[in-house]
Amino acid sequence: MTTTRVASTGHRVSWWQRLPLHVVVIGVIILWSIPTLGLLVSSFREPSAIASSGWWEAFRHPDQFTLANYERVLGEQGMGRAFVNSLLITVPATILVILVAAHAAYALAWMRFPARGPIFLVIVGLLVVPLETTLIPVLRLFSHTTIEHQLPILGGNAFGTASYTGMWLAHTGYGLPFAVFLLRNFFVSLPRDLIEAAHLDGASDLQVFWRVILPLSLPAIAALAIFQFLWVWNDLLIALVLLGDPTLAPMTLKITNLVSSFGTSYQVLTAAAFVSMALPLVVFFAFQRFFVQGMLAGAVKG
Amino acid sequence: MAGITFDHVTKAFGDQVAVRDFNLEVIDGEFLVLVGPSGCGKSTTLRMLAGLDAITSGTISIGGREVNGVAAKDRDIAMVFQTYALYPHMSVFDNMAFGLKLRKISRRDIDTRVQQAARLLGIEDLLKRKPGQLSGGQRQRVALGRAIVREPAAFLLDEPLSNLDAKLRVQTRAEISRLHQRLGTTFVYVTHDQVEAMTMATRIAVMNEGVLQQVGSPQELYDHPTNVFVAGFIGSPAMNFFEGTVRRVGGGIVIASDGFDIEVPQVRRDSFAPLEGRELTFGMRPEHIHDPAFVPAGTVPAPLDAQVEITELMGNETFLHLQRGETSLLARVDPRTAARAGSQTSVVMDLTHLRAFDATSGEAVPLEVPSTV
Repeated sequence: MTTTRVASTGHRVSWWQRLPLHVVVIGVIILWSIPTLGLLVSSFREPSAIASSGWWEAFRHPDQFTLANYERVLGEQGMGRAFVNSLLITVPATILVILVAAHAAYALAWMRFPARGPIFLVIVGLLVVPLETTLIPVLRLFSHTTIEHQLPILGGNAFGTASYTGMWLAHTGYGLPFAVFLLRNFFVSLPRDLIEAAHLDGASDLQVFWRVILPLSLPAIAALAIFQFLWVWNDLLIALVLLGDPTLAPMTLKITNLVSSFGTSYQVLTAAAFVSMALPLVVFFAFQRFFVQGMLAGAVKG
Repeated sequence: MAGITFDHVTKAFGDQVAVRDFNLEVIDGEFLVLVGPSGCGKSTTLRMLAGLDAITSGTISIGGREVNGVAAKDRDIAMVFQTYALYPHMSVFDNMAFGLKLRKISRRDIDTRVQQAARLLGIEDLLKRKPGQLSGGQRQRVALGRAIVREPAAFLLDEPLSNLDAKLRVQTRAEISRLHQRLGTTFVYVTHDQVEAMTMATRIAVMNEGVLQQVGSPQELYDHPTNVFVAGFIGSPAMNFFEGTVRRVGGGIVIASDGFDIEVPQVRRDSFAPLEGRELTFGMRPEHIHDPAFVPAGTVPAPLDAQVEITELMGNETFLHLQRGETSLLARVDPRTAARAGSQTSVVMDLTHLRAFDATSGEAVPLEVPSTV
């Protein structure tokens, strides 16, 4: 994946020729960032200020910025607990998807067994099934299989509706087709010789997977982790349907509730929204290098 | 250490037969080179031996033990890949130690063995580096080192030099030969380059279109090829071929070819007489066509006039590209030759070294007759 610059033999693209492109790109970035910036600024403003002037006015009175909104959201409104709930749902659901998908992808890419091709096709085919069509069947299944035993520490039922385990399972299931698809295509692009060399060195399939494939697939796995993390973190629908217990609610669900009860209290909503955005932003910026690489996974060979 | 036996081994991919009824005995400790043009089945043969491809029929034994059903990792062999197949995320040391770690060898033993192999290959200073920081030649050595530390019964090498530049290739060729002498282990080496085969092999096995053509020492193959394919494949520049028939003309014998006749001298008539009337393909190596002014002693001369198309000066010798009728011939003559491109010249063929092959089957036809009848 090397970027080839225009060599001295070719025509050199000077900066002013690229200027229109830069202007457009920067323009798009600004346009797309404005709402987020507005959200951030508003979340630090007094309710009266929000009601009387636009967020851009805030810079004229920097002394009016306040942390009160955050204190209220995290404390009184239980966003702190919701933040923890979101983590409790998202982290295991992300790890599970990667673990299961990576093993499956290795088998689909490098092990020989009957109907390997058709199985992979079916898994990829599941990508086109709309999530919404599965909600009712999954809910019915969960309500039949609910184990009403309060889990220690975590809270919630042991399984089924109003349980973390149910959420993990549901998110893992929904995430798997894409995860298997992404990882299998990445694994297949690894050189066959490497895998054969490891087998000759005495490695079993599991050892090849853990010691050769996984370390070499970190970019793809990191990209998948980000995708899955954001997807689960931002999910409202599945939580709304499967998670009855408000004490287990993740932030998305909490914010929705805030909207209905504090519909006009923008200062609370903006702070809550920003709290829910903060972690994905950190995750994205921490791994954005992998993210970009991983999006090319399978498309460009080594 | 172990000998290797291929017994009626066949490999088919669907309808496509890649290797057909392959029989070969690799003697313990020898350097056997499998050579042939690309797609001839040599790599498939090696992969079957390694356990990377299943055998369709027949058996392969290593050290007397049949290995058809034995997994690659349990065959006690090590393989060097054309691409080296080094683990990019591991240091050179870890690359070499990987197989030993998996075999649960003690840390101290691993360290000794890796250090020893590194010293042998002159890569002690590179042990901490990653493969990405090495040159092609260094990677090549690490790949060899990874095979050596395993102390396998046999080394399999699949075109290990083809990714190196010409100069490094010559150097590494000698190093691999030296390594073979020091280790004394069986080497099975696959290449499409007959020069590698000639220079390194104890014995060469020539393959074409999935079929083993001939097995023998490099000299045997060069001097006594069993068919037209081996004759043309082994030797660089390649052997000259021309179609012809042996005819009796007057009291003498001539080889009548397309547009020219070669008169067979008295001393060789007895060997050609039995072939009278047969359609044959004749083969003569370039070094056995001489400039008449520089004919070595002991030559059985058969003169031939030809047009010189191109001359190539090599310093120690000169190549003459000759044309006679429809036949093109390459002669490797003394550099003092007076022949110039575009002119007519006369050359002398040494009939002692003329080879004859059946024109249809391509099989060698013996020309020698016992000197005393």
